Amino acid sequence: MAKLQLENIRKVFGDLEVIRGVDLEVQHGEFVVFVGPSGCGKSTMLRLITGLESVTEGRILIDDRDVTSERPSKRGVAMVFQSYALFPHLTVAENIGFGLRLAKTSKDEIRRRVDEVAQVLQVSDLLDRKPRQLSGGQRQRVAIGRSIIRNPKVFLFDEPLSNLDAALRVKMRLEITRLHNRLGSTMIYVTHDQTEAMTLADRIVVFNAGAIEQVGTPIDLYDLPANRFVAGFIGSPAMNFIEIMCENRNGETYLRMGTDELRIEGARGIRPGTVTLGIRPEHILLAARETADVVAKVEIVEKLGAESLIYLNIVGTNSPLTVRMPPTGSVKPGYKVNLRFDRERLHLFGSDGNALTGGH
Amino acid sequence: MAEVAVYPAPRRGFNPWPVTIFVCLVCLAILFLAPTIGVLLSSIKTKRDIALGQLWTFPDTIFLGNYAEVIFNPAVHRYLVNTLLVTVPATIASMTLGVLGGYVFSKLPFRGSNLLFLAIVSGMFFPPQVILIPLFQFFNALDLIDTLWPIILIHTALGIPICTLLMRNFFATVPNALREAAILEGANEWQVLTRVALPLSLPALAVLATLQFTWIWNDFLWPLIFTQSDEKRTIMVGIVNLKGQYSVAWGVQGALSLIASLPTLIVFLFFQRYFIKGMTMGAVKG
Repeated sequence: MAKLQLENIRKVFGDLEVIRGVDLEVQHGEFVVFVGPSGCGKSTMLRLITGLESVTEGRILIDDRDVTSERPSKRGVAMVFQSYALFPHLTVAENIGFGLRLAKTSKDEIRRRVDEVAQVLQVSDLLDRKPRQLSGGQRQRVAIGRSIIRNPKVFLFDEPLSNLDAALRVKMRLEITRLHNRLGSTMIYVTHDQTEAMTLADRIVVFNAGAIEQVGTPIDLYDLPANRFVAGFIGSPAMNFIEIMCENRNGETYLRMGTDELRIEGARGIRPGTVTLGIRPEHILLAARETADVVAKVEIVEKLGAESLIYLNIVGTNSPLTVRMPPTGSVKPGYKVNLRFDRERLHLFGSDGNALTGGH
Repeated sequence: MAEVAVYPAPRRGFNPWPVTIFVCLVCLAILFLAPTIGVLLSSIKTKRDIALGQLWTFPDTIFLGNYAEVIFNPAVHRYLVNTLLVTVPATIASMTLGVLGGYVFSKLPFRGSNLLFLAIVSGMFFPPQVILIPLFQFFNALDLIDTLWPIILIHTALGIPICTLLMRNFFATVPNALREAAILEGANEWQVLTRVALPLSLPALAVLATLQFTWIWNDFLWPLIFTQSDEKRTIMVGIVNLKGQYSVAWGVQGALSLIASLPTLIVFLFFQRYFIKGMTMGAVKG
């Protein structure tokens, strides 16, 4: 277990600034997930922590020790690669014990520790096999085994499940959670899959264009996104955004929505004019004509069994809208439906994209 | 009983291409094999048979005297030893330098490394005749004429471009993640090379070993230029030396030619499995 601190980290490749001043503190034993779209700098950040890339500016501290210019192997970090990076010419046992062999650990000690790790990861009967003889999930376990055998202070995972099929991904996700509970180590996990982020993380760090957009627990990010980017990135299907007019009267801010006029509480400096309303698909309900906020025409209905996803266009503005609702046979493509937004779950964003309200 | 519909097999027109290609290949194979067969036939004939002009006929009895003469000739032993003394070190040296260069160019690029790589590879396109006289003068100044050193050094140098090119291209196919994983495990670059990159490069090494060994073993030009005494001749020059004073000893030369090609054949057979793999590597996604 260890504490990791990133202080004003910058990384520049040629003229391109890929990391733009990142500050972050990861606590002992915490499971932190970096999420963000492709090219947002999350994997680069991970490589900077490992030392595979050098930082242009800033400091990296592990347990209060400055490791910014330390060699990767001296930092006490281990990484599980997206491609697993198992050595194809070595057996599973040799792969797991590779680092120990380099450190000239005695053969008996290597064997003992490899057996121990293999038992934890349930790969004991695969020790004599070569990586090509293993399935994707088994390779993943061996890659994790190679990283835990050296008892690193910080574990780094670079999209480790992205090469697995959907079922195996769910299984391995649970195994990683179990492993974290068992080892209690500090773990940093990079993914672009926000389901993985939501299910694994103690805290999520949302990256965008080389900078942190928001840090928080999964529920914080879901309920109280700091800006439109986070709101749109966290949650699947993504949050709906609708341009809407607001006005100030008698020092109060009002939002005109269908037949309703909503008084916004906790609004921070909303100016009259257009704002963006954010509403998650699960917070939109079918309603009677007189209580409806919008009328929308159904375009596609996706039946997922436990629920249905309805894709619609708002009549009048033609803005797209996604609604999640219990399985229903009554809503069909081409129908017009009356929808009402859950008043407790509205998000408002200003023209700069920042949240104007504290969510519900 | 259900009726079974019987359809006539679709008639296929005669396709002349496979036959044409086959005939062409057979002709080419005969053309390529003819000299070897000629040498083989003359090596098992007596001088009298050859002198009578029966070069392409099968002899009535197989005469092994030519082989005995070659095998028990001390000069031939010397030629073989000299050739080994040139071929083995030059092959190892050029491959070692090619591996080191190839690794740096593919995994540790630096400013200007692509230009340097091009400069090295362009060395392949210099005809040896261009550098022959300067090299002769150079080694003469070093007093190394009639030693094996010039041949070893020249073959090492001439081997660097192809070895570097091949190894650089092969190392480029070794995923960077493997190098990075090894570095995170505590390996330095030398350990990455020797414990990860090289064990994965056996096909490329086999190709290089076979090519270099064959090329250096079969070389005629450089030993002819840089060696003068019979004590320093290599096998290819030695074959020419075996000619008689008034006649060409076809039989003996044929026997020595075949014996001289055995080591390259053995090297090829030894590496064959890797060789084929190496020649086709990168052709399909692994």
